[in-house]
Amino acid sequence: MSGFAIRNPALAAKLARNYAEMFDGQTPVSQRVSITVGDQTLELTHAETGVTHSWPLDALRSLPDQAASNTLVVARGDDHTGRLVIRDIEAARAILNAAPDLPPLRGPRGGWRRVGIIGMAAIGALAGILFGLIPIMADQGARLIPPDAEAALGQTIYTQIHGAGDTLECIATPGLEALEKMQRRLMAGTDLPYPLNIRVVLDPAINAFALPGGHIILNSGLIDAAGTPDEVAAVLAHEIGHVANRDGTRAVLRSVGSFGLVGLAMGDVFGGSIIAGLGRGVLDSSYSRAAEERADAYAVTMLQGAGVSAGALASFFERLQASGQDMDLGVFQHLSSHPDTLARITAARAADTGAGQPILSPASWAALQGVCGQTTAPGADR
Amino acid sequence: MSILKTDFGGDRGDLFQLALKTGLLTVITLGLYRFWQTTRLRRWYWSAIRIGDTPLEYTGTAQEKLSGFLMAVIVLAFYLAAFNAVAMFTAIRLTEGAPDYLTWAMAATPLALIPIIFMARYRARRYIMSRTRWRGIRMGMTGGAWGYAWRACLYWTLTILSLGLLWPVMTFRLEKYLTDRSWFGDAQFLQFGGPGMLYGAVAPFLVMLWGCFALVIAAVITGQALYGWGLLLTVPLTLLAAISYRVMSIRLLAGMKTLGNGIEVDIAPHAGRLIRINILGRILTGLVVGVVSPVVLGIVFGLIYLSGTYDPAMLVAPPPTIAAVLAIATWLTVFVLYGTCQHVFVTFPMVKHIGETFELHEPTLLRTVRQRARADGRDAGGFADALDVGAAF
Repeated sequence: MSGFAIRNPALAAKLARNYAEMFDGQTPVSQRVSITVGDQTLELTHAETGVTHSWPLDALRSLPDQAASNTLVVARGDDHTGRLVIRDIEAARAILNAAPDLPPLRGPRGGWRRVGIIGMAAIGALAGILFGLIPIMADQGARLIPPDAEAALGQTIYTQIHGAGDTLECIATPGLEALEKMQRRLMAGTDLPYPLNIRVVLDPAINAFALPGGHIILNSGLIDAAGTPDEVAAVLAHEIGHVANRDGTRAVLRSVGSFGLVGLAMGDVFGGSIIAGLGRGVLDSSYSRAAEERADAYAVTMLQGAGVSAGALASFFERLQASGQDMDLGVFQHLSSHPDTLARITAARAADTGAGQPILSPASWAALQGVCGQTTAPGADR
Repeated sequence: MSILKTDFGGDRGDLFQLALKTGLLTVITLGLYRFWQTTRLRRWYWSAIRIGDTPLEYTGTAQEKLSGFLMAVIVLAFYLAAFNAVAMFTAIRLTEGAPDYLTWAMAATPLALIPIIFMARYRARRYIMSRTRWRGIRMGMTGGAWGYAWRACLYWTLTILSLGLLWPVMTFRLEKYLTDRSWFGDAQFLQFGGPGMLYGAVAPFLVMLWGCFALVIAAVITGQALYGWGLLLTVPLTLLAAISYRVMSIRLLAGMKTLGNGIEVDIAPHAGRLIRINILGRILTGLVVGVVSPVVLGIVFGLIYLSGTYDPAMLVAPPPTIAAVLAIATWLTVFVLYGTCQHVFVTFPMVKHIGETFELHEPTLLRTVRQRARADGRDAGGFADALDVGAAF
């Protein structure tokens, strides 16, 4: 106020006063108040009624992430719903001088504790459902499915995998006869709820699959890679193990049962589907590990029953490991779904009694190796 | 003065910084920060909307949103598992040589979620209302999520069965259900009027919709592709008419809402303006993402070059690690930029336009309104988050 000298002290005090808009937290009515900064409190005096409210200075809070730069909203951090809206720069300065580091308003206490407790519960519930409830459900479901429906399901999946037209089915008659011979010798004395339906497809990947309902697919790459017919028989026995245990059906039922569950935890995160996919992979491989070990054990028993050396399984695993494809043999090609190849070799070797005679004659073995001499489009139910 | 008008006091630059910063944090924390991002952006938008010079205030917290989300995950996990089990065993029982039960059971799961989605939307709205304050007074909503869910399912069924003729009935009844359960302090919002007032607004949309049906039927019966080409014209027009109906119905319904003892609220957005904002905003977003992403990718590539791991053969067959680095860098850049630009170019102008049309009549009656008690957050909109049916922010 340069140039003026105000003689009337009451008028001077009035001019120097700072004003703000107060909301008392009880009614939505704006109250014009003058601000006086005290030692511990902010004195807010109603401009018309003269009623004074005192707000403790250490309870004053600022609101975070505010858009408007020309308005300061001051809250109280002590559960009081009142608000002070300050538009005047002088008034804002007076308050910031009195409470220099106006801390931001926080939510109620105990928020993190709650997050922790519910977070643990959520992890526990999801794990319980995915690893406990759904596998049990799938086992029950697999027991209830009529064998006919299971076989039809396997056929549908086979058509889904190989029906696109790229792959060819190998159907040279001598080769199929050799395969039949191998199957008969392995299956002697074994009873399955449905007939086996073994097919060879033209695919260089060293792999074999067991689908629901007795459908087994051998890739031609597997027959090419095998050193002896016994090795093919060992893989076939392993896949028959999956059929006997209904692992394919169970895998399908598990995926029906867990549908939508893994994606749930991801919510609307970016790339949620990618993470969900990884989650599924981990889930599947953990389900399958036990199934693979069971199928291995089944194969060893089956080979011994057929009088074939159980060492064939071990030597095939060794061959796989040498070719660098040791992760790639299993139900539905699930990555890393097989137990450590090394452990399986050891287990299969341990079961090897040394005795045994080749499962096929050299002539039949040659015929099997030539099964892809004649091919056809897949899909036909033989 | 007997009208309180609204102005929007936010700055795009501020919003850009906030959206970019929170977007980056969301990416770095693998999505965990998104609850904080939503909360902080809501606080920002709320504070920018000033009704009669007093800003709105958003008082929700990220922790309660995260807890609510986790709780929703637990509930939904059990619900889905139970539903899947029932669907699976039913399908197995029904199977008589028909192999399709797998697809059958899979298709049923989304159906099971439809009522849950309506329930989630009601609860998300309820949470947002309970965390909104104006002039220190809380807004709020009473319970009724399940009532909303079954009504929404019923009205949607009726609308579909009547080929859209009952659409205004659905719009009105659902809006009335929501409005009559909304409160400002101890003052209740009420929706007056009836479905009849919406038929004028819905007419162009219904005509267009039936035009689309007619073209599809004609194409199928006559087998002439010409009718199919007609859809190229009628489908976009139908969508525009749908947006126009949505916006007009909001205006018409708002004109028949009251608050407490005779306070009136009004909101009058323009459909044309909103459509323009959306088209322009999306083009701008596309341009920025398209121009900036290659620059960021160039910098990443430059860093790889400078780090000495570069080798001309990489252009033909990039090693997996480097390909992964480039792919992740691209994806994250596009994700963060897209989200930020959506806020700056689409959400910001839309909220600004809609907000600025809000009016409150007879503000002197506000002195009859009193504070309401604080509502607990419960799921804090967690069901909507888990099912990804949340709003833009």
